[in-house]
Amino acid sequence: MLAPRSLADRLAAARGQRPVAPERHDPPPADRAAGLARWLGADLHLADVGRVVLVERTVPLDAETVAVLRTLPEARYVDTETTGLSTGAGTVAFLVAIGTLDGDRLRVRQWLLPDYPDEGALLRRVADELGSGARLVSYNGRAFDLPLLVARLTVHGLFPALAEIPERHDDLLPVARRLFRRPLGGARLADVERGVLGIERVADLPGFEVPGRWFGYLRGGSPDLLADVLDHNLQDVASLALLEAHIVGLRRGAWRSATVLDPRGMVAELLRDGAAADSLELLAVALERSAGHDEDVSLRRLATRLLVAAGEADRAEEIWHEATRRASVQAAAAWIEVARIRERHRGDLRGALEATAAASRVLDLAFALGRGGSIAEIGRARLLVEGRLRRLRRWVAARERREGSRAA
Amino acid sequence: MIEARPGSPADAIAGLLADATFAPLIRAHRVLEARPPRHAPWPDALDQRLKTALRGRGVEGLYTHQAQAYEAVTAGRNVVVVTPTASGKTLCYNLPVLDAVARDDAARALYLFPTKALAADQLVELRALADAAELGLKTHTYDGDTPPNVRAVVRSAGQVVITNPDMLHAAILPHHTKWFKLFENLRYVVIDELHTYRGLFGSHVANVIRRLRRICQHYGADPIFICASATIANPRELAERILEAPVSLVDDNGAPSGQKHILVINPPVANEQLGVRGSALLTGQRLAERLISGGVQTIAFARSRTAVEVLTTYLRETFQPPPGHPHTIRGYRGGYLPNERHAIEAGLRDGRVRGVVATNALELGIDIGGLDAAISIGYPGTIASTWQQMGRAGRRSTTSLSALVCSSAPIDQFLAAHPEYLFDSSPEHGLVNPDNLHVLLNHLRASSFELPVPATERFGIDETPLLLDVLEEDGWIRRADDERYYWSHENFPASDFSLRSGAPENVVIVDTTGDRHRVLGEIDLFAAPLFVHEKAIYIHQGIQHHVDRLDWDERKAYVTRTDVDYYTDADLGITLKVLEVFDEADEPPAGLRQRGEVMVAWKVTMFKKLKYHTHENVGWGSISIPEQEMHTTSTWLVPPAELVNRYDRDTLDGALIGLARVARTTGALLLMCDPRDLGVLAQVQAPFTGRPTLYLYDAVPGGVGLTERLFTLVDDLVQACRKAVESCPCADGCPACVGPAIEVGARGKAVVTELLAGMS
Repeated sequence: MLAPRSLADRLAAARGQRPVAPERHDPPPADRAAGLARWLGADLHLADVGRVVLVERTVPLDAETVAVLRTLPEARYVDTETTGLSTGAGTVAFLVAIGTLDGDRLRVRQWLLPDYPDEGALLRRVADELGSGARLVSYNGRAFDLPLLVARLTVHGLFPALAEIPERHDDLLPVARRLFRRPLGGARLADVERGVLGIERVADLPGFEVPGRWFGYLRGGSPDLLADVLDHNLQDVASLALLEAHIVGLRRGAWRSATVLDPRGMVAELLRDGAAADSLELLAVALERSAGHDEDVSLRRLATRLLVAAGEADRAEEIWHEATRRASVQAAAAWIEVARIRERHRGDLRGALEATAAASRVLDLAFALGRGGSIAEIGRARLLVEGRLRRLRRWVAARERREGSRAA
Repeated sequence: MIEARPGSPADAIAGLLADATFAPLIRAHRVLEARPPRHAPWPDALDQRLKTALRGRGVEGLYTHQAQAYEAVTAGRNVVVVTPTASGKTLCYNLPVLDAVARDDAARALYLFPTKALAADQLVELRALADAAELGLKTHTYDGDTPPNVRAVVRSAGQVVITNPDMLHAAILPHHTKWFKLFENLRYVVIDELHTYRGLFGSHVANVIRRLRRICQHYGADPIFICASATIANPRELAERILEAPVSLVDDNGAPSGQKHILVINPPVANEQLGVRGSALLTGQRLAERLISGGVQTIAFARSRTAVEVLTTYLRETFQPPPGHPHTIRGYRGGYLPNERHAIEAGLRDGRVRGVVATNALELGIDIGGLDAAISIGYPGTIASTWQQMGRAGRRSTTSLSALVCSSAPIDQFLAAHPEYLFDSSPEHGLVNPDNLHVLLNHLRASSFELPVPATERFGIDETPLLLDVLEEDGWIRRADDERYYWSHENFPASDFSLRSGAPENVVIVDTTGDRHRVLGEIDLFAAPLFVHEKAIYIHQGIQHHVDRLDWDERKAYVTRTDVDYYTDADLGITLKVLEVFDEADEPPAGLRQRGEVMVAWKVTMFKKLKYHTHENVGWGSISIPEQEMHTTSTWLVPPAELVNRYDRDTLDGALIGLARVARTTGALLLMCDPRDLGVLAQVQAPFTGRPTLYLYDAVPGGVGLTERLFTLVDDLVQACRKAVESCPCADGCPACVGPAIEVGARGKAVVTELLAGMS
């Protein structure tokens, strides 16, 4: 009779899909935190709940950036490095960088966790610094970094610290998306650095390798594994400050000379600041540049909206005139825009009828010449135009009857 | 005997029982007499608003079981309530929960239901009562159907959160920081339909509860558990196994019920030689037609999805509505989309739907009210399920009827011959094995993501430190200087495994008829090869669909509507490989008996096309779908060599098929489990033993302890098989014992008898 197997044997059998066991290095130094601090040449902060390593560095800023940032309310530029991308309770921020403007430099304090048991100490230090009343500036911090820190504080029951986190939080990601995503084809911080700020990172650690470095260090690897992570994190924070200055600069007029910029996004930003006149100026320039491109129509529509809102319906019509001078489906569509402006914003039904009739003629011409759109496109456009024509004719006739009877 | 009122359902039932054509088919007829209600006084402590609200809804007093549950729970004891369908079980937990919220609006409760449909139902009921009591209760379901904007509100402000174990496992526990208001103030955890948490699923759920407890402890809460279960043999044991805490049993049902007739019906013999009886489906169809045309609202349960669709089609042909009117007959099974299901449930409640054909999806406590008649076509596999299905028929005051129509399956024929087994023996045990190592390791992993695990902590078993070492060695967690293990991996462990079957995902069925593709439904990965292989006829709501393409990697089946006169039936081929022997009995005279770990692989290789109504074979095709496999535990028997040497290979082959069949039936009875949980395979020359071998295995990955227990019962198994075969009156094999001679060979029954005698 065989002996029943031990739990250990059964365990071995049960572990069907074991991941590749990570490489083991030399045992970690007896005092991990002190060793880490020594290696990095950093300070070791002791607290009653653990130890945390503080790496302090400064990044020089150009005069222009400093000039812009000085005009803004005091800020804390925040970026975290984490053990994963989920915001579940097992993901930990092991490195939190907080940048502040200090003269003509950015002073960055990087709080680094020596090991998990010390997390309470890191969280307290970070909460202290964030709770100073200054606003937060981050990149995707609303969705990721802040909820993660809140989750960590909750796990540790540090509710008072939680309450001190400032409410004002300027997350640059949504703005960057509006301004740069279309021209750059993406709005990751790296895209924006390269395409907008002109920063080319050299020997940068890719973000997806960050958790692996941390686990490698924890499992007895050298603290040196974290040096690249610290550099990567420092660059992220520095970019935050540069990007904020750049965006504020754009808002204050630098858009006139900017090369990488989505005009629609910029208009949205300007309107947010109440700068309607600037918006129109921007659109006029953009329309000139984009003539003939796909985005042309949406830009014209935006400009129409702004002009109409400013009570300048004449100028709104002018925007479309150039586009009507062709025999094409697009030209007919431009006439319809003109008709809309006349009908809705000037109450000019007869004028709208004329513009719609013009659209109809343009389509006839396009059909006869066999250009300016496929037969199917012309056919579809015609149906729409005819429907509009019938309606306008009815309305015009009704209005004339009313006016006639009133006159009589 | 029958309270017949002209034109009433009771009248129609009486007519049926008096009908001479049905009488010979009735193998047993029991009458459960009507019972008056038994009330208990209102508990003194009960919030006045709740009492008023209940009175306003026509509740004049609590039934005895409701009062008992309230008292036990408010005294701080965990309870499990076991009373029949429609006995007011829901109030057993809604009452203490709402009472707690009425006293303190910071109090929180968590409700777990096995399905989203049940959760949605209970939300309506709970809200109705809370609104009537003007409690301003904040409650919502939290599952895949919850809109994103509602989720955040439920997390922070939901006083009663209604969800399912899968959601608790994958979405709530791993994100407990977002739920700390719930966990900090958690008073009650309600687990309804406890009996569904058995086998592998139950083993997983027990571990989810372990994780839940760790988190509650972290936030300083110690909730009381209120469980409700259908009738099983060991509700208290099951609850204590899942909760790992003492539980009080409440089973003194005080609810009234009308008179109830219970029938066991055996279709007539169709082929003496083959021992084949007429189709249970056709007999069930005739019974349903008879009842429905008499105004009896009827539900028929069929064993398979295909049977459901076939019977729905037949009944719709019989009960054609006038043009422009909706069908009064509906099919209902898993795989229908929520809206479709809700419409059917509402139709049943308001009476527009007169007949429903369902799989066991409706076995659970979906609120459709009581129906007049329930027909189970084929034994549902367990006594508990049978009573659940039969419990669907039953009104508070009027007569109802429940019938089991036996199929030609061995266990059905056993019941037709011995109906007393159904009435008198105790229902099955709910077995779980929370310490199944696969399950345990996965949940310990998930739990360490949720909160670090101290090296001294016990998670399920005393050997927890050993498991932690394993997880550390595999790179999931790491022990820090504070003697605690911390999650040290990038992945999110709860998304790595599912609580149900082993199947991580479903196959989506896409209807490509017409311009736009439309999702018809889903089917689980294990069932997909059987039902949506290429060229299969997949029937949905009585409409046939031809499977044009099965994209196995993308988990999508593309179908188009079709109209053919056949349906398809796929063959499953199983192979088994022994990986390791754990245990061996040394009784050479009776043959070899071993227990160990095996790998079972199954593959669907071909299908048949069967004509409607005649079921004749009109064609076949081959199927190429990758093989599926699982590791599980098995007990196997090898008859003594000198015994098997007497027979030629063909004889032995047939006899082993017979032996496997009878062993599965009696094995399931002996273990009191669903025969579907017990896999069986006979190999005339098994690669591992080199001899004829009969394998019985747990039909779930890792096993739930069935064959481990069976190993200690092998002698009983052999004896029970002998009794079943020898006491069967047939000459040379029938479906009730070893199977018909055409399958097991002319000498099949004799050889099985000899084999069993030699193995005793």
